[in-house]
Order: sequence, then structure tokens, then C-alpha cells
Amino acid sequence: MVFNKKELTAEPVVEFSPGKDPYIKSRKKGATRWILAHLFHGSNKFFIIIIIFTIILSANLSSIIYIIIGQTISALLSGLTALLGNYILSLFILGITGPILRIVSRMLIETLAQRTERDARKEFFTNLLGKSQSFHEQMKIGELMARVTDDVRMLNFLISPALSLIVESFTYLFIPVIYIILYYPFQLIIEPIFFSISFLILLRSYSRKIGPITGRLRGNFGSMTATLSETLSGIEVVKATVQEEKEMKKYYKHAKNYKEAFIERGKLQAKYLPILVLALVITAGFTHSVVLFNNGLMNIGQIIAFLGILGLLRFPTNISMFVFAIFRLAGSSADRLLELMNKKTEINENKEGKEIVFEGNITFENVEFIYPGSKTPVLKDISFEVQAGQTVAIVGTTGSGKTTLTKLISRLYDVSNGRILVDGNDIRDYSLQSLRDQISYIEQDVFLFSTTIFDNISFGRVSSLEQVINVAQQAQVHDFISELPEEYQSKVGERGVQLSGGERQRIAIARAFLSDPRILILDDSTSAIDSNTEDKIQFAIKNILKNRTTILITHRLSQIRWADLILVLKNGEIVAKGNHEELLKTSEEYRKIFVKKFDIEEDQLLKEVRK
Amino acid sequence: MWVGLEAEEYDRKYQDKDLLKRIISYFSPYKRAMILVIFFLSISSLTTAFQPIITSIIISNLETSPDLIFILFLILIIFIFNISSWVFNYIRQIYSTRVIGSVVLDIRKDAHKSVVNHDLSFFDKNPIGKIVSRINTDSRDFGETVELSIEVISSVVVLTILIIVMFTVDVVLTFVLLISLPLFFVAAMSFRKFARKMTLLGQRALASVNAYTKESFSGIQIAKTFRREKKVYDDFLQVNNQSYKVNLKRAFLLNAIFPTLGLIQGFVTMLLILMGSILVTEGFVGVGELVLFIQSISLLFFPLLIIASFWPMFQTGMAASERIFAIIDTLPLVIQTNNIKPSKLKGEIEFKNLTFQYDKGRLIFDNFSLKVNPGESIALVGHTGAGKSSIAKLIARFYEFQSGDILVDGKSIREYDLTEYRKHIGIIPQTPFLWADTVENNIKYGDENASMEDVMHALEISGGSEWVKNLPEGLKTNVRERGSLLSMGQRQLVVFARVLLENPSILILDEATASVDPFTETQIQDALEKTIKGRSSIIIAHRLWTVRRVDRIIVLDHGKIMEEGNHEELMKRGGTYANLYNTYFRHQSLEYIEKMGKN
Ligand SMILES: Nc1ncnc2c1ncn2[C@@H]1O[C@H](COP(=O)(O)OP(=O)(O)OP(=O)(O)O)[C@@H](O)[C@H]1O
Ligand SMILES: Nc1ncnc2c1ncn2[C@@H]1O[C@H](COP(=O)(O)OP(=O)(O)OP(=O)(O)O)[C@@H](O)[C@H]1O
Ligand SMILES: [Mg+2]
Ligand SMILES: [Mg+2]
Repeated sequence: MVFNKKELTAEPVVEFSPGKDPYIKSRKKGATRWILAHLFHGSNKFFIIIIIFTIILSANLSSIIYIIIGQTISALLSGLTALLGNYILSLFILGITGPILRIVSRMLIETLAQRTERDARKEFFTNLLGKSQSFHEQMKIGELMARVTDDVRMLNFLISPALSLIVESFTYLFIPVIYIILYYPFQLIIEPIFFSISFLILLRSYSRKIGPITGRLRGNFGSMTATLSETLSGIEVVKATVQEEKEMKKYYKHAKNYKEAFIERGKLQAKYLPILVLALVITAGFTHSVVLFNNGLMNIGQIIAFLGILGLLRFPTNISMFVFAIFRLAGSSADRLLELMNKKTEINENKEGKEIVFEGNITFENVEFIYPGSKTPVLKDISFEVQAGQTVAIVGTTGSGKTTLTKLISRLYDVSNGRILVDGNDIRDYSLQSLRDQISYIEQDVFLFSTTIFDNISFGRVSSLEQVINVAQQAQVHDFISELPEEYQSKVGERGVQLSGGERQRIAIARAFLSDPRILILDDSTSAIDSNTEDKIQFAIKNILKNRTTILITHRLSQIRWADLILVLKNGEIVAKGNHEELLKTSEEYRKIFVKKFDIEEDQLLKEVRK
Repeated sequence: MWVGLEAEEYDRKYQDKDLLKRIISYFSPYKRAMILVIFFLSISSLTTAFQPIITSIIISNLETSPDLIFILFLILIIFIFNISSWVFNYIRQIYSTRVIGSVVLDIRKDAHKSVVNHDLSFFDKNPIGKIVSRINTDSRDFGETVELSIEVISSVVVLTILIIVMFTVDVVLTFVLLISLPLFFVAAMSFRKFARKMTLLGQRALASVNAYTKESFSGIQIAKTFRREKKVYDDFLQVNNQSYKVNLKRAFLLNAIFPTLGLIQGFVTMLLILMGSILVTEGFVGVGELVLFIQSISLLFFPLLIIASFWPMFQTGMAASERIFAIIDTLPLVIQTNNIKPSKLKGEIEFKNLTFQYDKGRLIFDNFSLKVNPGESIALVGHTGAGKSSIAKLIARFYEFQSGDILVDGKSIREYDLTEYRKHIGIIPQTPFLWADTVENNIKYGDENASMEDVMHALEISGGSEWVKNLPEGLKTNVRERGSLLSMGQRQLVVFARVLLENPSILILDEATASVDPFTETQIQDALEKTIKGRSSIIIAHRLWTVRRVDRIIVLDHGKIMEEGNHEELMKRGGTYANLYNTYFRHQSLEYIEKMGKN
């Protein structure tokens, strides 16, 4: 990955930063540097030193064991029984210290691996929280999930088993050679050296092939998961339109791709040559030592020990078959994680920004907005002004940009041109925390978390049950909640599926009430509520919002009527402004939305009924 | 709150025997390949087992009267054995991956089929993330376990041969060697229980992380606008740390097992050499034979290690297969009792003394009766939570009712073939859902073969196609997850068009235009009036003026019918409907606005 200098030095722009970020620099320097930064973070480096030390020590012990066995046998053959006791005692000691050393190193390695997984996930998650809304809108949830779970997990696997085994393998590849040199005829190192060289060559070509296949296998697994997740989120539509067959076929296709990659990987692993080469090398070594024996250069004990030491090579050989694929995978996982983390966020948290209690005056000055990735502006030349405590209603046809306009106020997106002022200051001059703290937003597309009703209403604010009940009563949802078996502790299901549409909206309203904002934005938030209930909520809103600025998007005249200012949007432009009476007289667009068919006809009907 | 390490609701316990039977039944279609696998496995194990034996013969020979030709001949045999062992293993592995790949695919297919055929009550209770991980991840773990099992079988073969040969060589040393077996198994077994528990916990902890992440970022906009990132972050730290702790414990446990077994190995080696030395000095056995035993230790311990380490892995695999079978075996609550395949529905719907509840303890309908005549259009109105959407969901067979009956065209809806029946029902759910696909494909979702004209026509009827042209790529614009690129109203229009294209006999509109502006709505209204002619339709709406024209309005209150009749009748009556309607229009009176102003 290449970055230019400017990016390297630029201060990161984020929406949320809970604390110090120790990896921030390494992230810009590519996957290897980043992984190393994790590996050597804090006390991890001491772990690594101890781990390497114990691994080398135990490789030595394993070799020594065979040497002693060889000497024992030689002693037996030559009848030197005096030393036998010593040999057996040392075998005993080595037999115990070896496993203990291994326990120590395994535990340290695991701790390191799990820590890295935890820290990397935390880093990644935090980073995502700091990204702007436009980033999240372009991201598929399934993809994010794959990153947070699988890719982060790969880093764990990279350390345990991959890195630790690689270190182990290489020590097991070279330490035995030292002992052969020390104890046996020098020429016997031919076999292990020959093996090491051919092993490295074969391994190189093997790992070149296994990497991509394993990558494909993982990719297929990912798309299998993505399809399945999407099907299940839309299961209601699948059932209503009877498309189960189609969805099954779609899944089947991906599952089959997975199977094919799986078989291909199996074939490649079956063809793994180093195992064969090792077997042949051991046979050759055997022959070689028999020849040396014949020439009187070796004794039987040494042959046996030599064979045992050659046998130590089995471990790196077998293990490498699996380990190298992990390297490749972990590398691309780290790349994927970094790619997302290094994406720039458009919105700056502006921690040092102003923090004041708002009066609630809002001014739009020639605001233009284009969604990132799109070309045509969604909002054009929007200018208007709301005094503190006033209510402004926004009406307009579907897709005219009402929701978009409100998202700009709480800086889910920043304007493309022009500016928005609150109490005379550009909203970008406030700290994001302070700005959003004072704005409550009831979204059109109500989202509830799958926790309890209480948690959904309080949503992280420390609040007592009384406070929650109080706002629930105002939002006209308390009676319903108290009918539930577990009342405020009832769970609402994913996205609140276990509630009716109106119940979801009212819980969202309660949530906004509790947050006690200076500015309240209601985006069509009573669309699923019957008029009687709505009426009551209206009163509550009126009471709660005394002296607070309200932005109201609705198609219900009952609410528009009492707005101080009505904006009529069309294709992203304000085509008319004023109050109801004025607009009825002056605006064709307004009349088109509200009068046609409806006002006059109904008004008459109503009057008849009244009589 | 996010701990979530408890078992899922649909988990059930299988006897090991049943589980195995079940697994074997998945392998039975691949009998031939399995036989080949076992065959090549056995002979490659044979060749492995004979190598130490030959080696020991060579050593004995060296010890007594070295015969170089004979020795080289024996080494040549080892050489040949090595090569053939590799080749046999190669063949075996080719077949076994094929079989495992196919079995895993079959299991996934079955699990997927079972899941998509579940009714909605299943999805209410089980988070999607967890279901997905069962179908995909658990089946993968299962496959890995099978691979491992094959290795174990091969180890057992090697082990058996070696033990038999060793008995013929020397009984005492064989016994010394065999002392290790019970030690091994005691150690392995005592790990087993914890390992299984820890593994399950570890998997669940990770699943919680997944579920939490999924939810956090699905609701990220809310977290942002309420500036609650800190809470999301803190909760995340909690699940993340939990996963760390649980998985670290698991890793410790699984990693402790090998060194522990290694300890036993060291102990036995020492014992063997001690005994062996005595026997050699006493002249009972030769050095060559002792070598056989020493070499066998590593050959023996490796399989034993596999078998022992296999236990926890095996348990993981069994747990995984148990979890998948549980999902395959849970029956949906909505099942058909017969399979009537209606070619067309007249559209008569009758609720007869219906009782229905989602969860125990809260009846939504109690003794509810309602009849919709063929071709009639009715409207359901009433306070939120009255049960309007529930009626729609019951007709669509998304949930099972407890007693009473629902008849369609005179027959209980339980008797219809589910898929055929649903083909005649067009339902617009209250929350519009769009696929992360193009506008066009979203509209065509129910009917792939629809032509471009049909699509345009459906769009035109649903409030005009003007807005689609303004999208970056028109009909081909990808609308992203759940349609997040479109405004709410636009999403509803797309769903509307989708259902129109289906051309159903019974049409159910659940607040189908709630987020659409009144102007566009009136346009839809006109088209809708034409569309619903000749079909039974059920319209649910809070904007009461949209339902004035229907044949009959049903006013629901807490699952009971309060009033019914057409608009005029109900207005004259001056009951609940008139009251709702009047509230709806009360704003028209100036006094009302003034009163609001004073408050
Ligand atoms: N995230 C997005 N990326 C790109 N374009 C978008 C995005 N969200 C909305 N749009 C487009 O911007 C336009 C305005 O959308 P917006 O949601 O503001 O409409 P709206 O006035 O709220 O409509 P409705 O009354 O239906 O809610 C629409 O044409 C929509 O397709
Ligand atoms: N999946 C579910 N699981 C449990 N309870 C549910 C479920 N869906 C709805 N309910 C409950 O059943 C009752 C009736 O819900 P329903 O969705 O039928 O109401 P509705 O009349 O459509 O209301 P609205 O006008 O708000 O959409 C509600 O109190 C709701 O909480
Ligand atoms: Mg909107
Ligand atoms: Mg509803």
C-alpha cells in the first residue's frame, strides 16, 4: 500500500475517539508494520522473547533426549552398565522439563494471540464508530461483520498456530543439525541439509499455490454467508412472494462454489511433496549410517540416535502444510482491515469546538448537498431561518429531500456548499458531541435494538425507571408496555419485529423525549399511529417542546397547521415558504399536495356530520 | 445484557447414538467412495506400521552378524513402502475431500431449506446472525471433524498392528508400553468434559460479538444522532472482553492437553528404557527389539496424541452437528395438513372463533370472527397495536393460530399447499423491505419473467415513474441494503409496484402508503381503486380518508371488532370510527388550533 506524505502526517478526522490510539501511525504503513505494532505493543514484547527462548530450549532438549537414548544403547551393547542409572535419570528429567517448557510457551503464545485478536477488534470497532454516516451507508453490514469477526480472527490464527509454529519449525529444522555436527561423523549432515534445502524450495512453490486457493475458499465462504444473511433479513418478502426456491438455488450456487474450492484445496494438500521427500531422506540417512557402521565409523547406539534426530524433522514438515496458507490469509485480512480503517472520514469530531447551550435559532444559507458518490444535488440553494422555540414544518413530495435536509442539521452529512448556522455559528464550529447532544432526531425508519424496551428508551443515558415511565406515558406507550408480561424488561426482537408499527414509533418518540433536546426533529414520526393516539402525543410534544425549536416532517395537516413556518420542497428546492393560510392562497404546489380531493371535500363532509 | 452465552431455544439434546446414525445417513450416498477411502487408508497405515518392524530387524542384524546385502534389501523395502504409503494416502485424500465436501454441501442444503421454510415466529426469536453461523460455520466445523476422524481411524490401524507385533516380540516391554494407554485416556477424558463446555462457551461468546457488531452498525445512525457512541463502545468492550476471557480459557485448556500427554510419554519412555536395559543385560531381549519399542513410542504416541486431542475436537464437531441437526429438525409451527393446490382463489375469507397469540400470556385475538366476501374490499382501522397487521400475517400464513379456524374459499387455510396458496396472496408488509439490488430486480422479485413494460406499467400505477429517472442509473440503480439509497416513500412505491406485478387474487395492503405524500397517494388511490376491483382486498390504514371508498370498514379494538359498515353508515352512527375520523380532521376547525396554541 502506498500513501503519500500528506496523508501520513495528517491528523485523523473522526467522529468518535474514546481514548488514545497506539496503532495510529502503523496503520498507515501497511499490513506488516501494523501487525508488528500489535505484536510489540506493551508487555507483548516480553512475551515474545520468553516464547522464542522456550522454543529454542525445548528443541535442544528434544535432540538431547535422542543422543542420550543412543548412548544408553551403546552402553548396553558394550556392557557399561555403570552409567545406565545416570542416563535414565537424565531422560526422566528431560521428559519432565520438556512438556513444562511447552506448557509455558503455549500459554504465552495463546495469550498473545487472544490479546491481539481482542485489541485489533477493539481498534477496528472504535475506528468504525468514528466513521461518518456516509461511510456506513456505503458499507454492507455483512461485509463489516466479516471484517470484525473473521478477518480479526485471522490475526489470532496468524500468531497461534502460524507464527509460533513457524518459529518452532525452523528451530526444529536447524537445532538437530548442530547436534549431528557435535556428536556424529560430519558427513551425516548431508541428509538433513539436503532435506532443509529441498524442503524450503518445495514449500515455496506449495505456499504460492495454497495461498490463493485458501483465499478463494474464504471468499466463497464469505459470499455464502452474505447471501444467506440477506435472504433471512428479507424472509417476510421471500415468503410473501413465494420465492423460497429461488433463494435456495442462490444459496446452493454459492455453497457449491465453496465445495469446489474445498476439493481443490484437498487435492493440493494431498500432493504435498515434502512428506515424501522426508521419508526418502530418512531412508537415505539410514543407509548412510549403515554404511558408516560397516566402516566402523559409527556404533548402533549412534545409528538409533541419528534416526531419532532425523525423525524430529517430521514436525516442521507436517505442520508447514497448513501453516503457510494462514500467512497469506492473514496478510490479506490485515489489508482488508486497514483499507477500511484508513478510509477518511468526512466529518470531524472537532473535539475542541465550541460547547454552549443552544438557544435554538437555525439558519440555512444557500445550502447545497450532493450525496457522496452521486452527481446530482439532492438539495439546492436552501435558505431559511427558524427562531428559537419556533416550529418549522417541511412538506413535499416523496423523495424531495426532506429527510436529507434534517440529516444535515445533526451533521450526519456535511453540506457540500453553503452553511448551516445554529445560534449564529456554523455547526461545524461546535464540537460534534455538544451539537448532537442538543438535537434529538426521531427517524422515519425507526430502528430499535434487540434489547429490552427500557434499554431502547433510555439508550445509554443513566435514567431511572420513573423517568422512563414518565416519557413512555407522554408518548402514549406506557399502557401498552404495562400489559406485557415483563413490562419494561420485555425484549423487542431484532429491529423491534415483535412490536407493531405504531408501538415502535412511540418508543422512538419516548426515546427522543427522554433526551431533553434543544432542537427536536420529527421525521414523519406518527405515520403509523392512529389519530386518537397521535392527538395525545401532539399535546405531549407541545408541552415538552415549549421554547424548543422543532423541525417537523409530516403529511398530516393536523400537525402542519400549527407550524410557525412551512417549507414546501420540490426536487430539492424550496418552492414556497409561509404559514398555512398564506400558502393555501399563494402556493400552487402546496395546494396540490394538500387540497386536492381532500380538504374541501372532507371539510364539507365534516360539517354535515357535525350538524 | 449482551452476554448471551445461554443455549438457543430450539437446541435439543441428541443421544450420541442417534447423532452418529444421523451422520452416517449423510455418508451413505457416497458408499463407494467411502469404501475406497477406507481401503487406501488401511493399506497406507499398514505400510507405515511395518517400517519400525523392519528397522528393528535391521538393527538386530547389525548387532549380531552384519549382512550388508540383506540390510540394503530391507532398506529398499522401507523405501518402497514410503513411496507407496504416500501414493495411497494421496488417493485416499482425494476421495475423502470429495466425500466431505459433498456431505457438507448436503447438510447445508438441508439446513437452508429447513430455515427458509420456517414461519416468522422462528425469526422473531432467533437472531439472523446466529442462524447464519449455524448453517455455515457449524457445518464447516463438522466437516473438519470428519477429516480428523479419518486420520484417527488410520492411527488406530497403525496402533493395532504395532501392538500385535510387539506382543510377539516381548510381553513385558509391551505391557510397560501399554501402561501408558490407560494414563493417556484418563488424562484425555478428564479434559474432554471441560473442553466441550469451554468450546461451546467460546463459540457462543464469539457469536455474541458477531450479533452485537451487527446490531451496532445496523443502528449506527441512531447511535450517532443521539451521540451514544460511548455506550455502544462500552457495551462492545464488555462483549469483546468476555469473548477474550472465555476463548483464552478455552485455548489454555486445549493447549494444556498436549504437554500433559507429552509428560506421560516422557515417563513411559523412561520406564521402557529402564526395563529394557534390565532385560537386555539379563539377555532376555536384543537391542534391535528394544529399538523397535523405542521407535514405536513415537509412532504410538503420535496416533495416541491425535486420538486424545481428537476428543475435544470430536466434541466440537459433534456439538456442531448437533446444532445443525437441531435446526434441521425443528419443525415450523405453520404446517399444511393437506395439499390443496388452488388454481385460482375466489377470495372468500372467513375467520371463525379465532384465538391467536404470539407469546404465551398475551392473547391478540380471542374468539374473533370476520367474513370477507369474494371480491369485497374491506378496511381495517383502529388504534395502534389493535391487531391489524396480525390479521394480515395470519392470512399470509406467517404465524400459526391456536384455535378456531380461518377459511379461504370455504376450506381451512391449513389444508392448502403453502407455496401454491401464497402465490395467490399479495401482501405489502408495514415495513418495506428492499434487496440490495437494482430497482428493476426489486420490482421483479416475485415474477422474474416480467417484461420491461410490465415493470414500467407497475411503477406508473404506483404513483408515477418520474422519480426513478432521477436516480443515478435509473431502473438499474442499486438501492443498497434495505433500500437505504431511497427515501422512505420511494421504498414503499417500489414495494407497491412489486405486489401489483404479482397480480394476486387476495390483496393485503398494510399501511402501504403511510410514508408517501398525499399528492402521490391520491394518484395511487385512483389506480388502486381499479386494481382492487374483482379481488378481495384488505386495506390497513391510519389515514382514514384513504379508506372511505372501500365496501366495508372494520374498526378493531384490542383484537375485537367494535363496529363495521361503510363510511357513511359509520359516520352516521357516531361511534368509534366517527370519533377517529373527526379527530383526524379536527385540525380543520380554528378553535382547535387556538386551543393548541394556548397549551
Ligand atoms: N444515502 C443516499 N445516497 C444517495 N441518494 C440518496 C440517499 N438517501 C436518499 N437519497 C436520494 O435523495 C433523494 C431525497 O431523499 P429523502 O430521503 O431526503 O426524501 P424525502 O423527502 O425524505 O422523501 P420521503 O417523503 O419519501 O421520506 C431521493 O431521491 C433519494 O433517492
Ligand atoms: N412478532 C410478534 N411477537 C410478539 N408480539 C407481537 C408480534 N407482532 C406484534 N405483536 C403484538 O401484537 C399486538 C398487535 O400487533 P399488530 O402488529 O397486529 O398491531 P397493528 O394493529 O398492526 O398496529 P399498528 O397500527 O401499530 O401497526 C401488538 O401489541 C404487538 O405488540
Ligand atoms: Mg423522508
Ligand atoms: Mg401494523
